[in-house]
Amino acid sequence: MKYVKHIMIGIKRLTVLGKIGLGVVLMVLFLAVFSDWLALHPYSIPSGDALEAPGAGHWLGTDDLGIDIWAQICFGARISILVGFGTALLAGIGGSIIGIFSGYSGGLTDKLVMRLTDLVIVLPDLPMMIVLGAFFGPSVRNIIIVLALFSWTIPTRIVRSKVLSVKQEKYVEAAMSYGAGFWHLTLRHFLPNILPLVMVSVIRLTSRAIVAEASLAFLGLGDPISKSWGLILNHAINFKGIYFTDYWKWWVVSPITAIMLLVTAIAFISRDMERIINTKA
Amino acid sequence: MNKSSSILKKASEYLLTFLVILTLNFFIPRLMPGDPFIFLSSSEGQVTITYSEEQIAKYKAYYGLDKPMIVQYTSYLANLLQGNIGYSIYYNNSVLSVIGKRVIWTVSIVLAAIFISCLIGTVLGSLSAWYRNGTFDKVLYSFIIAISEIPAFLIGIMFLFILAAKLGWFPLSGGIKTFANYSNSVEKITDILHHAFLPVLTLSIVRLGEFYLLSRNSMIAVLTKDYMRTARAKGLHNKRIIFRHALKNALLPIVTRVFLSLGAVFSGAILVENVFNYPGVGRLMREAVMVRDYVLIQGIFLFVAVTVLTMNLLADIIYRRLDPRVN
Repeated sequence: MKYVKHIMIGIKRLTVLGKIGLGVVLMVLFLAVFSDWLALHPYSIPSGDALEAPGAGHWLGTDDLGIDIWAQICFGARISILVGFGTALLAGIGGSIIGIFSGYSGGLTDKLVMRLTDLVIVLPDLPMMIVLGAFFGPSVRNIIIVLALFSWTIPTRIVRSKVLSVKQEKYVEAAMSYGAGFWHLTLRHFLPNILPLVMVSVIRLTSRAIVAEASLAFLGLGDPISKSWGLILNHAINFKGIYFTDYWKWWVVSPITAIMLLVTAIAFISRDMERIINTKA
Repeated sequence: MNKSSSILKKASEYLLTFLVILTLNFFIPRLMPGDPFIFLSSSEGQVTITYSEEQIAKYKAYYGLDKPMIVQYTSYLANLLQGNIGYSIYYNNSVLSVIGKRVIWTVSIVLAAIFISCLIGTVLGSLSAWYRNGTFDKVLYSFIIAISEIPAFLIGIMFLFILAAKLGWFPLSGGIKTFANYSNSVEKITDILHHAFLPVLTLSIVRLGEFYLLSRNSMIAVLTKDYMRTARAKGLHNKRIIFRHALKNALLPIVTRVFLSLGAVFSGAILVENVFNYPGVGRLMREAVMVRDYVLIQGIFLFVAVTVLTMNLLADIIYRRLDPRVN
């Protein structure tokens, strides 16, 4: 119950835009979880005529194979949510652990970890993702792993510098002089201090991962089995004559709107969170 | 530590990074599941060997794959040093010359986009800082923050459908008209610019926010300094204060950001080129993936990585040169 109260207080402190953003993210989450009931039509096999305009049967029309686009949007939400939150959690948790460890141990370990983060930050991520995808096969799992491999440095750096400053605090020095070990310090003193910071960076990573997955899928290099929003766009753009007909009005506009809504919604939340938590401190 | 030795240290760090990239590039195909000599039959899970053991041994010896890993690695490095990064099976040409034919397209739109976004971003950022907390600043700030959240390729697709398909102002794809006969070179250049307009516009809009925010922050920091009050007290013209006294001091972070953002713009160009079917390296990379030309994919990756690393190193060096405070 304590946490529910905390969350309620947190929501109250969001601006109007932040609340709208939270609403949109929850809506997409709802779409993703209940897509089996919401979709009405299957997302991978035809359920009507090809290229039907939006109407009563097919709310957002159909594509060139007669597959319902609303169903594709619903199931695409699953991929975006899975990739976004999966990557963010993996990179957030992994990056924080590395950051705590690096900041706590200092010395050579710290130096090595920092050199490693420098290296990953310099690597151009999109070409690298394309190469890895081409060689290891573009499944959703691989995309999450590769994105996480490129994202862990952000939480690591934030967490490390926070741990370094917390280590200087009097109460931590006192705890250390009483013989507090790594685990005790981490659970009692480091985690409460770094958790808000990690949350902010996890939100940022989520939207980055969603955009990266959509970009890869748009290039036709994403998971070919999953119907993600980027893949719908890829099919639509590669349809001959998409530019000279009216089909783009539902076939192209729907996935673009979905991606933009989700990404801007997350951006609104993350800006509010940064303001509330004050990441610079 | 003096300047040149710190640059040397930085350069050796970059060299290490570069070596890591080369090593990654070497191991990726070798870590890949499967083997070039094992043919995966169409039914899943079944592996059929179509070569006899002797044939495999012969081919492995022919391609040097029977040698120990360290020998393969050194010969790979030696080849790279000679500028030999492989032969593209699909294009039937050396990887270097395949990339060479496309690189001019990518480099020109990337440079043009950086120039435009830097120029417009800095001017808008300076104006925003001058009128800070006024209506103009607030509206511009929110607007630019909002557009910089939208992914590049989506902006590109919207331009493509609205400006090119619906209004017909710009060509739908390509870098130059196919089979066109130009009466003079002016006509040809106009055609190329016409084709490049939308890709450059898209890339510029995506980078605009970065330069705007940077110059706005840096300008605000300078404008609150004491010497700015002095300049105003002397009764100098606003234009002179902004451009001569403030911008000159606020420019340093912007100059370094120009070089640092090159890597991101290159990544963005890969996507944008594919939206507009622009004939650059990004489009080549996608084509290479589609036709499974692994040597070419690796070659392009190396090329992009080297370019980005070099630009980052340059940014570091220039920053050190320009700012006397950094040692």
